[in-house]
Parts: sequence; structure tokens; C-alpha cells
Amino acid sequence: MTGGTAAAVEVRDLGMVYPGGIRALESVSFEVKEGEFLAVLGLSGSGKSTLLRCINRLLDPTEGTVHIFGEEVTALRGSALRRLRCRIAMIFQQFNLVKRQTVLTNVLSGALGRSRLLPSLMVSFPQAERERAVAALERVGLPGRADSRADALSGGQQQRVAVARALMQEPQLILADEPVASLDPALRHSVMRHIESLNREEGLTVLCSLHDIDLVTRYATRLIALRDGQLVWQGSPSNFDQKTFKEIYGQDAEPASNSGY
Amino acid sequence: MPNRRPIRGTEVKKNTEFGAPSPLALFVDRVQAVVVDAFLLAFGGLMVELLVLAFSGRRGATGLLLTAEKILDLLHYGWMAAVAVVLALIWNAAHVPLGTSPGRAMVFGLTEEEKDLPWSQTTVGWFVAILIQLTFFTGWLITELDLMDFLTKFSKAADILRGLMHPQASILHQGSVLLVQTIFLAFMATAFAIPVAFVLSFPSARNLTRGTFIARTAYIVARTLMNFVRAVEPLVWALIFISWVGIGPFAGVLALWVHSVAALTKLYSEQIESIDNGPMDAIMATGASTLQVLRYGVVPQVIPPFLSFTIYRWDINVRMSTIIGFVGGGGIGYILKPRVDLGEWGEVGTLVLLIAATVWVMDIVSAKIRERIV
Repeated sequence: MTGGTAAAVEVRDLGMVYPGGIRALESVSFEVKEGEFLAVLGLSGSGKSTLLRCINRLLDPTEGTVHIFGEEVTALRGSALRRLRCRIAMIFQQFNLVKRQTVLTNVLSGALGRSRLLPSLMVSFPQAERERAVAALERVGLPGRADSRADALSGGQQQRVAVARALMQEPQLILADEPVASLDPALRHSVMRHIESLNREEGLTVLCSLHDIDLVTRYATRLIALRDGQLVWQGSPSNFDQKTFKEIYGQDAEPASNSGY
Repeated sequence: MPNRRPIRGTEVKKNTEFGAPSPLALFVDRVQAVVVDAFLLAFGGLMVELLVLAFSGRRGATGLLLTAEKILDLLHYGWMAAVAVVLALIWNAAHVPLGTSPGRAMVFGLTEEEKDLPWSQTTVGWFVAILIQLTFFTGWLITELDLMDFLTKFSKAADILRGLMHPQASILHQGSVLLVQTIFLAFMATAFAIPVAFVLSFPSARNLTRGTFIARTAYIVARTLMNFVRAVEPLVWALIFISWVGIGPFAGVLALWVHSVAALTKLYSEQIESIDNGPMDAIMATGASTLQVLRYGVVPQVIPPFLSFTIYRWDINVRMSTIIGFVGGGGIGYILKPRVDLGEWGEVGTLVLLIAATVWVMDIVSAKIRERIV
């Protein structure tokens, strides 16, 4: 640890070859400073999901290193890996809530990493955690929905529950994998605004893959772009222009106003 | 936990430069294709030989036409296998002029030209069509199907049917008492099977056991054990337990219990294999431990189908316990067997009606309950 100067995330020569020989990432290197909102751009299949999953080790990268707040995470195993994951919340494109459980239980599951094993297996949490979960739900604008079943909620609401689950984790870093890609365009800002507020108000570092250019320019403080598993561009949203767009997405691509590419 | 599993719906792109298989993998694939072809060719060759022998009019030592079993005894298995291996090697080596072989098609897929053709214009299409035809004719011979017997000799069976249609009340009381025993027997066997099958289903699920060496070993051990248990008929288990704990319903409970554990483990673990990985990933990402991931990411997804399978299993066990009773495992089968042996078809009719009514009610109840929970 080098104190405040350490990058929140430092990725060095990261490579990932899936069993079966498919290469998803090739020598990707970049840094994310504490408090940044980094958007990851790229076509489907460019390696965005793989990159995010290598950072919290849902996937094991085959080459290179990842440091989080100065700590190398690429070699962690067992309980050390779980302690690392506690500090990193993840938001998924498909929400990935446990559908048949209540909204409250879903939010509480964000606290599993710091809960005692036996009570947690009985789905019993301390009163303080329950209050924290209710507060998290209020914060994402879903007060009073704690006892609904998760699958009774609309897509936008489900993703806000996922944000509350991330909040519950009290993380230092948020990974968001296409958090609004399966939502109605009109609802996208409702979710993005909550992720933004975690970034602005709590000072959390955010890595968010996005493919909607409007959202990128509005929320991100910095961008990186992947193409065929390689980092092809990085810079600030203000430097992102038509030419860069074509470089990343190919000559045939046209920026669309509210959907994809 | 499965860290290396490729994830559904993620952006992975095939890259030919890195996607080329190793020479060893290619060799294994080729061997696999030849083995499949050799097996199919040997199978086809043996069926042809069987049909030729059957229709050649050859007679055995007794002067009678050869029976199917006798013909099966006469076939040249070793020769056919050897010839099939040679033919399979030739076919795989010369697959371009001859057309893709079935084994090759299975392992490597059809060639671009053959993919677009209808089956009747590809070698593999014809091969499979002929194989299916041969299987059908061979099956007809081996199982000694005889339409004439079926159509002309009904009168003997009519006696039994007449008896069944005239059930006798004399056995109604005893039958009802034993029917209650049958239902409880099935219930106890199912209830005891649930916890064991639940625990065993996790190591038996492929998607949960890819991670560590211990997990893979547990998978192989659990699967092998359960396949063995399932392969042994409940009837055989009943005989084993009857000599263990003596004749009576307890032996029946144990026999059905063992079989239910194996059957439920298989159903449960298949259900676990088909869950949505998303919630599991999400729980894992919060830093939860393996048990917590199972409790939050897996269990809520599988509970309703588990309940449904379990009720269905109880239903099956009620029916099976009748047969278990035949050999002394308690329940209604225990008094059914002697009446079948003595040809008291009226009393058999009563018992059959009792069983049918129970199965019918159980079927309705289990359908209703399963409707509710799925």
C-alpha cells in the first residue's frame, strides 16, 4: 500500500484464454483512480464482461495481474478471495436477483460476506443489518417493497434492488456489467442515477460497461474501449468523437440516440 | 466453486488463431469417430447376418427352424467386430469420396456441401435410414412378435378378465387394511429418502463440481454409487432387505427408500444442473462462502421442482410397493400374489380396483399440489 496515491484498480497485461482455446482478453493494461467513474466500451464479444469478471475473480485470468488498492488479487484463494469480493460489489445485466425470495432477503444477501455462517444459512440477520437493508431500499426509491417477492417487481425495480444489494455490501468498488442494457430506454437513467450517486456522494470507484453513447458521455469521467479483447482507446468523454467511435465499433457503425450501436 | 466455467451470454468471440485444437485433441476426436463408426457397422453387420440366418430356412439339430435365441448364439461377433473396425478405418480415411461417416458427422459435423443436402442424398443419411430399418426387422424377430397369436388366442385371457370384472367383497376388508399399510409404506420410504437425496444431489450436479479436485472426486463417487443403486431393481433390494430385517413392511420401506434415494438424487441433481447461474454468480460476487452460495444462489431455485419430484416419487412408490409386496415386502401385494397364483380372479379384481382407485386419487392430488408450487 502506498496510501492515497495507489490506484483503485490497476490492471497489467491482463489476458484470458477460456478452456477450449477461445481468447477473450489480450494484454489489457489500464488504471482507475479512486473515485473515478470508468466506462468500458466495446461491441458484444469484445471482452467487457470477461474483463469485469476477472477483476472480482468470478473468472481466473490466465495472464497478467490485477491490483485493487495496492493489493494483488490475481493469486488470492479461499477466504482471502472472499474478503476481497466483500469489498467489490457487482451489478449484472440480468439483475441476477434470487427470484423466489423477498426483496429484503435479496438486499441482505449483500451482507453475507460479513455474516456468521450458521445464522445466515437460516436466513437470519442481525437487526442492524436489517435496518441497513431497509435504508438501502429507501435510498434506491423502493420503500415498502421489502416483503414483495423479487420476481414481482418490474425490470427497472429489480435492478434498483440489485443496486441496493451492492450498497449493502458497503463496497469500495462497484463493477457494473451492462447494468441498463436489458431495461426499457426510458428507465435507464433511473438506475444509472443511483449508480452515479454512489460514485459522487460515497466516493466509490465505478467500473461500468456500457454501450449506449449517450449514457457514457453523461455519467462517465473516463472511458476505455475494447475491441477483440484488446484495449484500443482510452480518454475522457470530451475527447470522444465520431472518428473514435468508428475506430471502436467499425466503419459501418452509426451512433444511435438511445439504443446500442 | 466453479471459477473457470465459461459464462453464458458473455461476450466471447471465437478466434481461430487460438481456437485451433491440439494434435492430441484431434487424435482423440478421430479415434472417437472411428469407434462410433466401428460400433455402428458391427451392429448393422450383425443384424444383417441375423436376418440372413433367420430367412435361410436353416434347421437346427432337432430339425426345427432356428429360434431367435439360437441365432443370436450363432452370430460371428468377433469377426464382425474386426471387419467393422477395418471398414470404419477405411471409411474415415476415404471420407471425401465415400461421404462423411456417422461417427465423423457426430464428432466433426457434416461438410459444408453435405449440410445443405436432404438426407436421401448423403451417405450418412442412407446409412442411418437402413440401420433404423434393420433394427426394426431384427427387433421383430428377436422378440418373437406373432400377430396371429395375438388375434386368435384371446379366449384364455377372457377368463381372467371376466374374473376381474366380478370383484368379490370377501377380501375387501383385508385389502383395505393392507392398502393403508401400502400408502404409509410408500410415504415413509419417500420421507426418509428426501434428506439423503437432498444432500447427495449437490455433489452429483456437474455444474457445482467443476472447481476443485475434491469436488470432482465427490461427483464421480456420488454418481457411480447412485447409478449402481439405481441399476438394481427395487425387487432385488426387497429380497436383500427381507433377509436382513425379515419379511414385512419394514423390508419394503427399506427397499423403496434405497431406490427412491437414487432416483430422487438423479432428478434433484439434474434440476440443479439446469438452474440459472446468474444468482449464483451474484451471491458469489458478494464474498459469500460456498455454503452460503448454495443456500442463497441454488436452493431457492430448486425447492419447488424438488417438492414436485418428491410428490411424484411418493405416487410411484405407492404403485411399486404392490410389486414389493409380491416378494414379502408388506402391503397389499402380499395378499395379491397368492390369489394370482391360485387363479382367484374375482378377489384379484377387488384388490386391483383398490390399487387403481388409490393411484387415481394420488395422481389427482399430486397434480393439484404440483400445480400450486411450480
